[in-house]
Amino acid sequence: MFATDDTIVAIATPPGPGGIGVVRVSGPASVAVARSILRRATPLAPRRATLTDAVTPDSGRAIDQVVATYFPRPGSYTGEDVIELSGHGSPVLLRQIVSAAVVAGARLAEPGEFTFRAYLNGRVDLVQAEAVADLVDAVTPLQARAAFDQLEGTITNAVAEIDREVFDLIARLEASLDFPDEGYHFVDALSVGTEVTELAARVSRLLTDAGRGRLLREGCQVAIVGKPNVGKSTLFNRLCGAPRAIVTDVSGTTRDLLTETIDLGGIPVTLVDTAGLRETRDSIEAEGVSRARRAVKAAAVVVVVLDRSRPLDAEDRAVLADTSETRRVIVVSKCDLPAAWSARLEPVVGGADHVIEACLLTDDKLLAVRDAVVSVIEETDGEPQRDVPAVTNLRHIELLGRVRVSLFRAAEAGRSGTTEELVLIDLQEARVALEEISGARTPEAVLEHIFETFCIGK
Amino acid sequence: MATRFDVLVVGAGHAGVEAAYAAARLGRHVGLCTLSDTTVAHMPCNPAIGGTAKGHLVREIDALGGLMGRAIDATGLQFKLLNRSRGPAVWSPRAQADKRVYGKWVADVLHRESRIEWVFARVGRLLVKGAHVVGVELEDAAGNPGGTTLLAEAVVVTTGTFLNGLIHIGPKQVPAGRVGEPPSHHLAESLKGLGFRWGRLKTGTPPRLDRRSIDLTRFDEALGDDPAVPFSFMTERIDRSQVACHSLYTTEEVHDLVRQNIDQSPLYNGQIQGIGPRYCPSLEDKVMRFPNRERHHVFLEPEGIGVDEIYVNGYSMSLPVNVQEALIHALPGLEESVMLRPGYAVEYDFIQPTELLRTYETHTIAGLFLAGQINGTSGYEEAAAQGLMAGINAARHVARETPLILERNDAYIGVLADDLTTRGCLEPYRMFTSRAEHRLLLRIDNADLRLTATGREIGLVGDDRWEQFVERQQRFESNMRCAERTTVTVHNGERTRASLALRRPDVRLETLVGGGELPLELSPEHREIDLWSVETECKYAGYLKRQAATVERAHRLEHRRIPGDFPYDSVSGLSREVVERLTETRPETLGQASRIPGITAAAVALLGARVAR
Repeated sequence: MFATDDTIVAIATPPGPGGIGVVRVSGPASVAVARSILRRATPLAPRRATLTDAVTPDSGRAIDQVVATYFPRPGSYTGEDVIELSGHGSPVLLRQIVSAAVVAGARLAEPGEFTFRAYLNGRVDLVQAEAVADLVDAVTPLQARAAFDQLEGTITNAVAEIDREVFDLIARLEASLDFPDEGYHFVDALSVGTEVTELAARVSRLLTDAGRGRLLREGCQVAIVGKPNVGKSTLFNRLCGAPRAIVTDVSGTTRDLLTETIDLGGIPVTLVDTAGLRETRDSIEAEGVSRARRAVKAAAVVVVVLDRSRPLDAEDRAVLADTSETRRVIVVSKCDLPAAWSARLEPVVGGADHVIEACLLTDDKLLAVRDAVVSVIEETDGEPQRDVPAVTNLRHIELLGRVRVSLFRAAEAGRSGTTEELVLIDLQEARVALEEISGARTPEAVLEHIFETFCIGK
Repeated sequence: MATRFDVLVVGAGHAGVEAAYAAARLGRHVGLCTLSDTTVAHMPCNPAIGGTAKGHLVREIDALGGLMGRAIDATGLQFKLLNRSRGPAVWSPRAQADKRVYGKWVADVLHRESRIEWVFARVGRLLVKGAHVVGVELEDAAGNPGGTTLLAEAVVVTTGTFLNGLIHIGPKQVPAGRVGEPPSHHLAESLKGLGFRWGRLKTGTPPRLDRRSIDLTRFDEALGDDPAVPFSFMTERIDRSQVACHSLYTTEEVHDLVRQNIDQSPLYNGQIQGIGPRYCPSLEDKVMRFPNRERHHVFLEPEGIGVDEIYVNGYSMSLPVNVQEALIHALPGLEESVMLRPGYAVEYDFIQPTELLRTYETHTIAGLFLAGQINGTSGYEEAAAQGLMAGINAARHVARETPLILERNDAYIGVLADDLTTRGCLEPYRMFTSRAEHRLLLRIDNADLRLTATGREIGLVGDDRWEQFVERQQRFESNMRCAERTTVTVHNGERTRASLALRRPDVRLETLVGGGELPLELSPEHREIDLWSVETECKYAGYLKRQAATVERAHRLEHRRIPGDFPYDSVSGLSREVVERLTETRPETLGQASRIPGITAAAVALLGARVAR
């Protein structure tokens, strides 16, 4: 566990050169650290950007021109005194500024330590803290967007809205138990079942979409298969946008699996280029073929490549048979050459398959392949609902699953006319799970809600 | 008069009498300091005992061998089981009390205890040596400290609203603990001088009317249950004829009058700083905070047989006397009624209960126990529950015995102690069933099964109660076995074990027993409770199992003890606020730490890493 009473420093912008780079200092000595590494003698005004020089504390030598901003506690990102120094994006200069801060008494921060402090100081909740980690690790822009939504509280909002309604229902049921003779009709016993059913349905919608959420976060695998020398590696390279696979016209060139994670319609897709699926005596190639079979099994979608310039043979048919149980896109390649067969007349190419006839060297056909793969992936994981916030975190999916079970039970109890104190057992369980996502409430809060809403007491 | 006691109890309200009785029953020599024996177990506000969750407390006090349940059964005017339409976990008894007879009944019981010596005097100062209480100094005849010194190994302070009590009636302010009784100023300062954190609360009471000036036949009648369900496990039946209450509603005229005179209310013009209970709002609060409510319920409750005072429940206020009279006369049917005394608000000091262990002993001064309204609670039942536990633990402290602590899953009494000592009070604390997360386990039908053996073990449960309980427990256990083994026919001809049949909402134990299919062993005197317990345990078996499982899960934290002198500031990762809060509250276990407001899960995790398993 980190110490949390000292002052920490780190480069806050991503590694590598950029337009600007930010060094963040947080902790009780932030102001003192800033004083010794900034040229400016007068104290920084809170929340005002000040142009000055970052200097080495010992020699006073200028490192870089920076914009320094002071965020006093508790209104800062971490809840502590924070100084942010925006300098030019050179990693070398930024590292020098960090070194200067360390000389001035700060400690180099561990990964995630700023967010950990923000969490400890109650500046972010667990959902947001987890989102920061996701945002940093995001591979694709849509993935970044989902993590950002979560950080901004879209998830927190969607869950909080359900939480609020469960909570209000709990308060009304509790009120009817604790204040039986107040002359209030707090809740209609018959409508409890309906209300809870509706809430459970909303949790279900969040969870259905969680399929896509998990896809966004964890991505999926797409395997490219086909007999040797039909253009698998060409397709792989074209989809990757950079030549990774060695493409030759000697069949059996790709003996091992080649993988690359690419952004396909916002989904991080691990693309696997396989060796051709064929029987071979070459032991190395045979190992490649067996790995290819395993990759087909693990893939959410396979792309089967068939060469239209040569007649379909036993090997092609074997590939089609091997992949018939998997969702697949069939790319009929080498359409720039004279056709030896036609996909439309070929019975082994099933009607449900997406078939794209392409010369893999042209861009528009490549786009068609990408779209077909994305749509098949999304079919696999249910209808995407882009306006519903994506639940991308496994912990949240599990907790929402518990919420849903508890709500189903409560709805059932409510419908069968079970008395309030028993319906409440399930609702309270749902609340506990919801609070693990959005932060804890107490029985005191339930009473507070009752007293705010109703005139209780004689 | 002796000047040396084992346990000295200051105050003879609902907390004080339970404390004195319990300590005496446990064999201690008890001094009971009070101003007069006419106000023993007095009810200065609502003449009633019980209500939701409060009724549970009384039942538990009784199961442990305390006084309150027997006292109200012996003297109550009207008995009602609340929440009957709901499940047995939230059934709660409530009774209208004959307040003079009630107080006299309790005083008589205490007078019969040879180990209790009465001291009619006002305590001026606590005597403390090092970190131990050694006794008290009484006020002298002139009301100054410096009177007789009484020595004791344990002192239980139960001074209610008397610490710097200040009564408000309109602009008029009178220093008093209750109307007509001067407050305890010196004792308040003595307690504050010991360094306890304290605060100021407010409560209030409605006007009283002369019964002879009211035609009660003009109002709706509210009657009790017939037969009455008693509070005490020792009471077989209550045969007295019951008295009715009456009810009426406020009108727009009443609300207008309140609004016109609101600037004369000490609650609204800044004269009162203390925080009042939101669950017991004054008429001013009802009208001002809920302007959309067309009418509010008002009850006319008798204060006793042969007593002419009528308590106007729901009408507490601190407006000037003439406005109160106008407000009474504005109620339909009370135009001609005579007000005997006005309502008032009272402000008083309380000690933050985070200063206490769950035994009600203070963290810093050994042998000093605080119980009742002094700890920021409201309600006779909450006071009695604390008094009982403080008395038991004061007696055990004197005998150097291990303290008796009830956990949250043992009793509402345990919830009360845990809530108070971990959360402190921001407003007067009242018990509610929603405060008990293990509510289904804490029922009135099983209070004896939960607690009477404990009461016996510590010496509070006498032979008669114990013998009765042992039989009742044997009946319960054999009846449960019988229900689990006997096959019965449910209405569609299907045959199943009785315990399973009872899970169907429409199958009642009474019917199965009446039909002769289920030969249960039932005591003629305690037939109802025998049936309740078996039916509830069977009907809710699934839910009860789940609650038991949550108790099991919570045990992990509840049993990790934190030493009293634990250095929170040495745990790296805890924020200053968290360290401050923990140092102030000194939780006894990790579970308690997790319930302190503002203590995050992360903080508990950090703490857990440092506390021995």
